[in-house]
Amino acid sequence: MIKIDNLNFWYSKGKPLFKNLSMQLSAGHIYGLLGKNGAGKSTLLKNLAGLVYPQSGNLMVWGLDPRKRQPELLSKICFIPEEFDLPPVKVKTYLKANTPFFENFDHTYFNRLLSEFNIPEDHSLTNMSYGQKKKFIIAFGLATQANLIIMDEPTNGLDIPSKAQFRKIMASALTDDRCIIISTHQVRDLDNLMDTIIMLDDNDVALQASVDEITEKLTFKRIDQVDNTVIYAESSLSGYHAIVPNFHQEESKLDIELLFNAILTDKNKFKPYFN
Amino acid sequence: MNNIFSFNRFRLLVKRQWLDFGKIYLISLVVLASVICGFYLFCIPKVSQGLPPVNPDGYLDLKFRYPLFVIVGFLFITIISSSYFSSFGQKSRAIIELMVPASIFEKFLTGIFYTAILSIFSYVLIFGIIDFAFGKYIVMSFADHKFELSSASTKVSDQYYNFTLTRVASTINYKEFWPLTFMPFFATSLFLLGSIYFNRFHYIKTAISVLVFFWAGGYILYQVMSKINAQFKYQGPIIGQKGIFIIVFSTSILVTFWIWFIAYVRLKEKEV
Repeated sequence: MIKIDNLNFWYSKGKPLFKNLSMQLSAGHIYGLLGKNGAGKSTLLKNLAGLVYPQSGNLMVWGLDPRKRQPELLSKICFIPEEFDLPPVKVKTYLKANTPFFENFDHTYFNRLLSEFNIPEDHSLTNMSYGQKKKFIIAFGLATQANLIIMDEPTNGLDIPSKAQFRKIMASALTDDRCIIISTHQVRDLDNLMDTIIMLDDNDVALQASVDEITEKLTFKRIDQVDNTVIYAESSLSGYHAIVPNFHQEESKLDIELLFNAILTDKNKFKPYFN
Repeated sequence: MNNIFSFNRFRLLVKRQWLDFGKIYLISLVVLASVICGFYLFCIPKVSQGLPPVNPDGYLDLKFRYPLFVIVGFLFITIISSSYFSSFGQKSRAIIELMVPASIFEKFLTGIFYTAILSIFSYVLIFGIIDFAFGKYIVMSFADHKFELSSASTKVSDQYYNFTLTRVASTINYKEFWPLTFMPFFATSLFLLGSIYFNRFHYIKTAISVLVFFWAGGYILYQVMSKINAQFKYQGPIIGQKGIFIIVFSTSILVTFWIWFIAYVRLKEKEV
């Protein structure tokens, strides 16, 4: 569905952001895109949506080139940016002007999402808080029935109940013909939602693996002492939080933050486990 | 699905843009009408002031309205053009605008519709209505008054009766100005390009760029022509006034389309 081959991108020539980056993403998954500040998470999302142009390489989404910004592809993509500005109009007026562009827009679903998010339909977008506006565009985006949902820091600005609603809604929004990519720093907000983790580091993909694959190959546990089987460990009040190879098919819960720090410290240690 | 142009998408886009652009546009029309009315109220002749200014033919000569038409019109259409794509300079707006499922060509055409067609048409219409209304008002207010014109006594209402929009055309000789007919489109094309080219302070940056460009171009042209003239003896004009007019008119059309094309390419290449 999404195929990236040898993507090279830079904002200034001396500082490449991606060097020969390649990956493939398929429908039916919720991808969590992680990386430290400036790793290029938002830029990768913008490349997928055709909002920035790579210097070289191939990028195809549903067999179409996002750089061409064709209506056929744009109607299949829903991009929820971190920063956005909505026109000062009422919800109904916004819908009237924008929904005709999306043939499959589901008004019933949209109204259901609005009511789940507690957003009144007769409200003006100007009078909404940042969090309400965010919930509004998430509801609108999902109701377009787009096949590719791209979200940049979607939980920023959402209160605690809204984050829980968001997780519930996103889990139910995943279908076999839909691909959801979420870039976030708030991994604890979304760790149960993502089924595949993509980590960006050093101008490339440092890790792309499903949660099942990660927990099948690695164990995340608390230990009292660090021995030579430990791949990575962080000290805590009650010992160490560690990542160790899963030799005995133990079941453990993926600790994304721990894995993230481990990859950033030394990604080469993980190469034998993941192709 | 046609990915280049669909009339239905274009129509939807015009409607969508009106949501965003329409309110500001209507407010600007009210401001425009107020400004024009203000000038007329300040400048029209009053009965108490005696004989109003008339031209040698005896027609009322409201000279202020020619520069008013040009200056206010220029400011109005260029401000509208300069603000059209300005939201593309803000990351928070540009993403949502660029992700609207319409082709770049349709988005560009909508820009042309609002900046070159609607703004010029509405300006001419508003100016014409106000001018016509004040013309009628003057006719009415001077209808029962007689003034001495040279040696003959003339009923001024006869003169003012003819003072309608058609008289404007006869006062300004269109034959002398027709090559400039396309100039308003040229002005809007420049400022539309500026609105997509610059991310901030679109109007002032475009105005400065245009001034620098024209000064530089004018200076180079002057130098080149001076050198050419020094080498040849003047043997009368090569082309007459008609030829020059045709060149000016066709050049203004060609340059306008060329600038529109550059604006289209810039829109196509716009990144967030």
